[in-house]
Amino acid sequence: MSWRRKDLLDIETLTVDEMRLILDTAVSMKEVLTRPVKKLPTLRGKAVTMLFYEPSTRTRVSFETAAKILGADTASLAVAQSSVSKGESLLDTAKTLVAMNADLVVVRHASSGAPHFLAQNLPVGVINAGDGQHAHPTQALLDIYSLREKWGDVAGRKVLIVGDILHSRVARSNAVGLTKLGAEVVLVGPPTLLPPEMAYLGVRSSYDFDREIAGAHAVMALRLQLERQRSGLFPSLREYNRLYGLTRERLAKAAAGCLVLHPGPVNRGVEIMSDVADCPQSVIETQVTNGVAVRMALIYLLMGGGAVEDVVA
Amino acid sequence: MILREVIHLENTVLMSGGDIDQAVRRIAREIVARGGVDDVVFVGVRTRGAPLARRIQAAVAAEVGAELPLGLLDINLYRDDFSRVGAQAEVRETRIPFAVEGKRVVLVDDVLYTGRTVRAALDAIIDLGRPRSITLAVLIDRGHRELPIQADFTGKVTPTAEGDDVSVCLRETDGRDEVLLNKKGGGA
Amino acid sequence: MLWLKNAHVIDPAQGISGIMDVAVQGGRVLKLGQGIAAADPLGGGEADVTDCAGKYLFPGLVDAHVHMREPGQEEKEDIASGSRAAVRGGVTSLICMANTSPVIDNQALVAFVQERGRQAALARIYPMAAVTKGMRGEELTEMAELAASGAKGFSDDGRGIQNGEIMRLALEYAKLTGCPVVSHCEDEFLAGRGVMRRGPASAARGLTGVPAAAESVMAARDVLLAGETGGRLHLAHVSAKGTLAALRAGKAAGWDITAEVNPHHLILTDEDVPLTNSDFKVNPPLPSAEDRDALLAALADGTIDMLASDHAPHTWEEKACPFAEAPFGMAALETALAALWTYLVRPGKLTAERLVDAYARRPAERFALEAGTLKPGAPADMVLFDPDWEETVTVEGMASKSANTPFLGRKLRGYPVKTWVGGRLVFERKA
Repeated sequence: MSWRRKDLLDIETLTVDEMRLILDTAVSMKEVLTRPVKKLPTLRGKAVTMLFYEPSTRTRVSFETAAKILGADTASLAVAQSSVSKGESLLDTAKTLVAMNADLVVVRHASSGAPHFLAQNLPVGVINAGDGQHAHPTQALLDIYSLREKWGDVAGRKVLIVGDILHSRVARSNAVGLTKLGAEVVLVGPPTLLPPEMAYLGVRSSYDFDREIAGAHAVMALRLQLERQRSGLFPSLREYNRLYGLTRERLAKAAAGCLVLHPGPVNRGVEIMSDVADCPQSVIETQVTNGVAVRMALIYLLMGGGAVEDVVA
Repeated sequence: MILREVIHLENTVLMSGGDIDQAVRRIAREIVARGGVDDVVFVGVRTRGAPLARRIQAAVAAEVGAELPLGLLDINLYRDDFSRVGAQAEVRETRIPFAVEGKRVVLVDDVLYTGRTVRAALDAIIDLGRPRSITLAVLIDRGHRELPIQADFTGKVTPTAEGDDVSVCLRETDGRDEVLLNKKGGGA
Repeated sequence: MLWLKNAHVIDPAQGISGIMDVAVQGGRVLKLGQGIAAADPLGGGEADVTDCAGKYLFPGLVDAHVHMREPGQEEKEDIASGSRAAVRGGVTSLICMANTSPVIDNQALVAFVQERGRQAALARIYPMAAVTKGMRGEELTEMAELAASGAKGFSDDGRGIQNGEIMRLALEYAKLTGCPVVSHCEDEFLAGRGVMRRGPASAARGLTGVPAAAESVMAARDVLLAGETGGRLHLAHVSAKGTLAALRAGKAAGWDITAEVNPHHLILTDEDVPLTNSDFKVNPPLPSAEDRDALLAALADGTIDMLASDHAPHTWEEKACPFAEAPFGMAALETALAALWTYLVRPGKLTAERLVDAYARRPAERFALEAGTLKPGAPADMVLFDPDWEETVTVEGMASKSANTPFLGRKLRGYPVKTWVGGRLVFERKA
């Protein structure tokens, strides 16, 4: 199949074939990561710019590493260092980057739809590195990659996504992507963080972690933003951990070899206990490596899309 | 589909299945004759260099009674026409299950033409380590080099016109063994 | 002397809907009837005769909810540009909301708005004054003086009055004026930082939702306060089913309550909101399909009294940003009537008669404006409406300074082609 996209904005708009191409390409990229010299000439002379309106060292470094291994130059614009804090509009900032010959812009933004907005208005490619509560497609792809790496195929597997579903772009993108590839996704969390409107995803929701973990092949624990407690969404970390923390006892009730995922950074002792995060079934560290491979694959595919005028749909 | 059939009729067979087998065996003998097989490893360039390398590996094994290491190389990440190709070629995995450091690498590809693929393959191998030497084995050399690159082991040398299409078919990838030449302009 | 022949005249105040001739003289309606003969004693002088066959003649629309942005935000709109937009949309009388900068909370500003309206000399411009000083929700404005200076109602529109006691006092004190207190119902705790209606559509877009109850709980409070005080309440931009329940209960009890609905809340739903088009961002947010249908039924049965545009212009620069960061509001004066006709009247969901009743007669009555009817002697504020005129909504076509309408790029069918204010032609649509 051929790749004709300029942007990667969410999982909803990807076809299953496109998802598979990204994941397969990432397998090739992961081989590069095992080499003593992790450097390719592929994107020599190209520039990938990071436009991060939310602090996220992990994601930014992952993208930078991916771009650099592919031979591209990278530039980073973090909100505090730039004119963004002087009130320059998102559009003006992005246009400036393009004028500086950025070939691809990686955007992280607290507002849902900000990368889509940029993609509509810029001639160069845009990768969504997380927008508001809306989508985090590269995280979902690296999570799915990590599961595929262990299982070969995610179809027919039961995957629990546990925690603050309402505010989670990771949960949304994963639920959409895993469902597309045939996995059974169950959302688990307290009613305040898993409201009825999440039914739009078309997957099952449950408040009862203990019941749902039976037969689960993977559990994805979401990071709990501690400020949600101050907003009254849950009464205490203690009770949250008691009801929704991933403990050894709970994991024991899952299917044998049940994988443990977490998008990081981990709140040890809140959504996941330390011994579970570090247990052999945990792929949390592998997720980080896979993140680089998946982002290399995406950057490669998007940059190779040819002139934008050639891109159809 | 119909067009393809017409073109097929106008193809000239450059090498038959028998010719290919013979060429593989001869290349294997030449490799052995050139300094023995100590530290020799094969690296096949994907797509069709890979089955060819496997065949040469087997032919060498038949000569010396030992199976030498074999790796597969995808050169798409090393192409020099990246920004010009439009929709990207699919990148497949490079799988070289040995260290190339100090090895005598025999690089295997199906067709030697401009030399650009070989240039990319050389860069790719060197990124993996510092081999003692790299030699090049190709099934067919059709001329029109754009870089100072020559093969060390060649199945057949055929002069062609620029724009002619040389297609190598192998059992492993295409279901049959055959090398075809399609003259520019449909063999007129 | 203006003589309009063969128009389909709709004037609910007189119970008229049919083909008629209308004669205008001295800025007022002189006579209307079937087949006024040329020989009729019309007052003498040369008659300017227009054949209106195939077109409707409405009383000029009365829009009780318009943000003219002047003073203080003239980059979005001013009273002159807003007046041009109004007459293009068939609106001949309108009330300007008080949330300008500074807030219209004193006599000088009430006078200023009226003066700017007179200078623009197109539509009739009336001011709404704030309920509380600076719209801070703390102390009442000098309502008696403001009304005497020309304020037609009191509203802190743009923000709900969070303190129930202040609202209760406002309903009491406004009795000195006879003007309604217009409530923007929005509980700020429930609304939070929401940017669209809470539901599956907001969840899918990852946009923070405003529950429908953010409006309805305050509407219920204000209805009960209207009952308790006997005050005169008008609910602005009703957008939720729960609000209708409160409204019906209050009306059934005989309390002095009216309500308005905006065209966009009758036409669009939360599912129509594109992630990257903030022209669909409005407060209250676009309703669920279920609520939208309930609003339409309530308008048809009279639970909702009137239509109002809630024209809320914003500049392109302000709207050219991610959805959550854009200001709330839609420019609506120029498209309201055409959109209502295209999406509601044409498919038979709303009668033309009820449309004119709700968008001319009822607001004029409620806010005591001399408008909304073509009775002989009434000001000749009229709209000649061509139900088959098609036009695509474009930025260039806007008389307003802003073009933040969700109907941009859509072809609407049914537009005002001529607008008169006081018998003077103030707008004529050209192909």
